[in-house]
Amino acid sequence: MKRHLLAATALLFATLAPASAETILNVGMAAADVGQIDPHRATSTQDKPVVSWMFNGLVRFKPGSASLEAMEPDLAESWEKSADGKTWTFKLRKGVKFHGDWGEMTADDVVYSLKRAGDPKTSSFAADYAVMETIEAVDPSTVRIVLKKPIPALLGLVANYHGGNIVSKKAAEALGADFRTKPVGTGPFQVVDYKSNESLTFAANPAYFRGVPKIDKIVYRFIPADAARDLAFTSGELDVVYGRQDQRWVERFQKEPHTVVEVVKPAELSVLHLNTAMKPLDDKRVREAVAHAIDRAQLASFKGATTAVPAVSVVPTGYLGTDEKAKLYDYDLAKAKALLKEAGHPDGVAIKAIQTSLPTMLASMQVAQAQLKKAGIDLQLEVVDHQSFHAQIRKDLSGAVYYAAARFPVADVYLKQFYHSAATVGTPTAVTNFSHCAAADAEIDAASIEVDPVKQKELWKTAQKKIIDEVCAVPLFEQLQVWARKDTVDYGYKFEGAIHLGPVITEASTKK
Amino acid sequence: MIRFVIKRLLLAIPTLWAVLTTVFLLVRVVPGDPTIVILGDQASAAARAELREKLGLAKPILAQYVDFMGQILTGDLGRSLATNRPIVDDVAAVLPYTIELTIASLIVGAVIGIPLGVWAAQSRDGFADWFARLFSLAGVSFPAFVSAILLLIVFAVELRWFPVISAPRTDALSERLAALVLPSLNLGLLMVAYVTRVTRSGMLKALGEDYTRTARSKGLAQRTIVWRHAFPNVLVPVVTVVGLYLGVLIGNAVLTEIVFNRPGIGKLIVTALNQRDYTLLQGLMVVSAFAIVVANILTDLTYGLVDPRVKTP
Repeated sequence: MKRHLLAATALLFATLAPASAETILNVGMAAADVGQIDPHRATSTQDKPVVSWMFNGLVRFKPGSASLEAMEPDLAESWEKSADGKTWTFKLRKGVKFHGDWGEMTADDVVYSLKRAGDPKTSSFAADYAVMETIEAVDPSTVRIVLKKPIPALLGLVANYHGGNIVSKKAAEALGADFRTKPVGTGPFQVVDYKSNESLTFAANPAYFRGVPKIDKIVYRFIPADAARDLAFTSGELDVVYGRQDQRWVERFQKEPHTVVEVVKPAELSVLHLNTAMKPLDDKRVREAVAHAIDRAQLASFKGATTAVPAVSVVPTGYLGTDEKAKLYDYDLAKAKALLKEAGHPDGVAIKAIQTSLPTMLASMQVAQAQLKKAGIDLQLEVVDHQSFHAQIRKDLSGAVYYAAARFPVADVYLKQFYHSAATVGTPTAVTNFSHCAAADAEIDAASIEVDPVKQKELWKTAQKKIIDEVCAVPLFEQLQVWARKDTVDYGYKFEGAIHLGPVITEASTKK
Repeated sequence: MIRFVIKRLLLAIPTLWAVLTTVFLLVRVVPGDPTIVILGDQASAAARAELREKLGLAKPILAQYVDFMGQILTGDLGRSLATNRPIVDDVAAVLPYTIELTIASLIVGAVIGIPLGVWAAQSRDGFADWFARLFSLAGVSFPAFVSAILLLIVFAVELRWFPVISAPRTDALSERLAALVLPSLNLGLLMVAYVTRVTRSGMLKALGEDYTRTARSKGLAQRTIVWRHAFPNVLVPVVTVVGLYLGVLIGNAVLTEIVFNRPGIGKLIVTALNQRDYTLLQGLMVVSAFAIVVANILTDLTYGLVDPRVKTP
């Protein structure tokens, strides 16, 4: 009996002991499940970081940076552009292998990928690529892109971000719909396992062209409950965790032993879009009253000194073309009340707003609601769940829409999606122009084809001024991304920015 | 008995049909749009309209209903709108976890609840009785997510006996068991509360019956009186409660699965709902409704086993 017991105990410990001395990085994410990991479809916060582990672009954002100015070669070794800025020729790196047995990356894959990124049937970013007239393989290691017109940041379109990620043509054609869950790229890690509602597992790509990654495996766990995710990090089951954009969270985790908290760009700009086609907001004076009644500094301090700053313009700070010194409306309650009176509302107005029940967004909107109340503006919130919110605001049902977003860091993208009349909700070409803004269409269009960077910036500046003057939207505050890691984890670079909304795990990242 | 089971299963068809129709209508009445999840918030209205067409969501609702019912009749649950994976695969991946958790928490409920109820009934208004009543009151009133966090802080973070993430990484038995303890304890405590109450009141009644007095007058030991004469009479109401609360367990499993980060049907339902993944949600409802029907049949069959007066059907 005793012997049996011993054998059983030994067996139990044998099963408990790790199979080998693999370096496994455990990352915890605030989501119930993966959304889309096909790089041309991945738009959710939980999907973007993992795409950056699996894919490369022709150029890449320097790991740890979210700046367009810090681009470096990735799959392309070099490139040149024609004098008119319309023809770009890229020389590809040779001998780069796709994950698994999908062979070598060639110009054909690049052509296929960029065309795929431009097709609305296969890509969520098709509109950005409509500017490409032709994409052709000159030879197996040369790609030529001819544009319909010169654009502000072509390199951004071929970077390791959204549609710029290069996929394997053979794999995408062979796997069909399955490519959505098993995408094939050239990056340092490849997806090997997916457990529904639980985790994604990535293995190091032994053939990665920058060298074999030092981390063998990444387990990306979906943990929607905030408390559970935090506890899993404290207990050591997670090495890296998605942080809450909350001052108290940052302060608490900074005190945890062996923990490094990093607050990084890009900032998500929170904006109150005012529906200029709906009463009483169709009256500019009412919109001005709203703008004067909002106290941006108070909102930012409510969100947290480390994680939030007051907004600077109707476009997020740090983007190419943002007017960092835009003249916004001052906080002035007396003026707000006077404007309402002038507009024929001495007793105040009521504005309907459909609002998501997502706690962080709801809390900010409630602060704005309290601020507006002081000026006699009754912001009536209709709180619905997050998916209903997304559907209803796109049906043009809301007077005021609170929206928080980060976009590709060029003013053009943000301006076109939020303030160009073509993107007005309720129209076939709708994106997210909730205010029916049409104040700066001419400048936005002109800027997107302006070759002279100085003139282009000037046009973007004018566009922002016009949008602010027309009060299409009231910018509120900007919120940074928060991540925490154990001090045993070294990303291999200084983590200051995350265009992919999370840390890029590279071949140089280590875990002790 | 086989005829009974078949008859009950046939009777369940209208129930399932009603459940499916309600679910089909409900998910479509709730505002929301799966195309926003699939295409992201930067997609144009035209692209979303095209996808709706492709997914069959642009068809008239009646045509969608006919398609859906036709699919169910052929035993096909379809594919998830969000991931395009066969729903059967998704369900098969998480179902064992849910069954495991439900059975384990039923065991916790029975093993703790029944003796506690019997003990309480024997010392009516005494210490044991007060303790059991307080314990079960706490069990019923404590929200599952609060007790879950408490269990995690004590046993996973402070004592480090069990993992916080209760999703086993491998199929090793030891790991599966370690990942099962805290969630089943959390869910089981609710069961303990109900089982204790029903056992206690049933025992109080049984201990006051004539046959108990007769047994006492024969000079039988207290233990024999309690377990051999009184207790068997309590089993029928206990089984009823257990059967009834299987549904409650499935509902509470959602919270438990989320906080303990355990895969399961409940967690999947929440994801499907958040993503407006109509087909996945429908598939999960079929499975859940069927599980409750089966649980009810099992409960009925158990009556025959625990009480000889009930003829085994």
